[in-house]
Amino acid sequence: MKIKIAAKILDANEKIAAENRQIFDNNKIFTINLMSSPGAGKTSLLEKTIKYLREKEKVGVIVGDIAGTDDALRINSLGVPVVQINTGGACHLDANMINNALEDIPINDINLLFIENVGNLVCPAEFNLGENIKVMILSLTEGHDKPLKYPLMFQKSSVLILNKIDLKPFLDVSIEKIKVDVTSLNPSIKIFEVSCKTNEGIENWTKWLQTLIS
Amino acid sequence: MHEFSIAESVISTAVEQCKKNGFSRVEKVRISLGSASGVMSEALLFAFDALKKETIAEEAILFIEANPLSGVCMNCLCNFTIYEPYILSCPYCQSNSFKINSGMEMNIIEIEVI
Repeated sequence: MKIKIAAKILDANEKIAAENRQIFDNNKIFTINLMSSPGAGKTSLLEKTIKYLREKEKVGVIVGDIAGTDDALRINSLGVPVVQINTGGACHLDANMINNALEDIPINDINLLFIENVGNLVCPAEFNLGENIKVMILSLTEGHDKPLKYPLMFQKSSVLILNKIDLKPFLDVSIEKIKVDVTSLNPSIKIFEVSCKTNEGIENWTKWLQTLIS
Repeated sequence: MHEFSIAESVISTAVEQCKKNGFSRVEKVRISLGSASGVMSEALLFAFDALKKETIAEEAILFIEANPLSGVCMNCLCNFTIYEPYILSCPYCQSNSFKINSGMEMNIIEIEVI
């Protein structure tokens, strides 16, 4: 016999994401899900952002990687609480992994939580973690064709950080084309141009970020 | 690769609903995927067949209905329907002012059980 279900496939993830969000809201924590390809500069952006904000905001970080603790060690050296999730093969974080990691984050003691997702321009976009906003990084070295090749992440993110702009003179990449394509995919996306190497644009981004945290 | 997580979710929902309703085998699972959902049907079918083993859904067949991307253009007011993973401008007047109504969804429609 047939049983009608009519439910979202990722309903189980959505429910846990809603639970996480409740925890964040109850503890007045603003949460950012940070996504990009491997090597686009997620950890570098976090390092720079934390250096600008650590005296003004109480920051915590959850780092997702398939294996290893290199990123967590880099963040840890900045003196902020950090939890490493090793997905052991999974190409994205899901809400349940975050729910478990929250046991090791001092949630009473932070007001800004960064979740560094697994480096991947595809899968993380499908899984809500309970975050307030999705922020993605595209580095100029990846090329201007990426938005139209990987549309979903650009559509689901509220913010696009264009990293490595210091390399622009050496690359045949059109920032203009990136902006035109991304804005067509997602008219309300906010775009920041930064260089984690020279610090260009970092202050702009962190100041804007602070306006979101109450 | 996220097709594996999605297949896992489909199987666990099907198994749970089958047991909850007092049946013992899942025979068919029918789902719908929006063309802009970012999910590859072939990869999902592969993952479903790999993960169903040793569950009460091990004989189950997955049927995937493809839903188009649909929306309305704010400029020419037409309603459009296309089978593409994304849309950059209205297919009729090329305006880039439009609203997407569907095409990103992933739903389980029904299962057949015995």
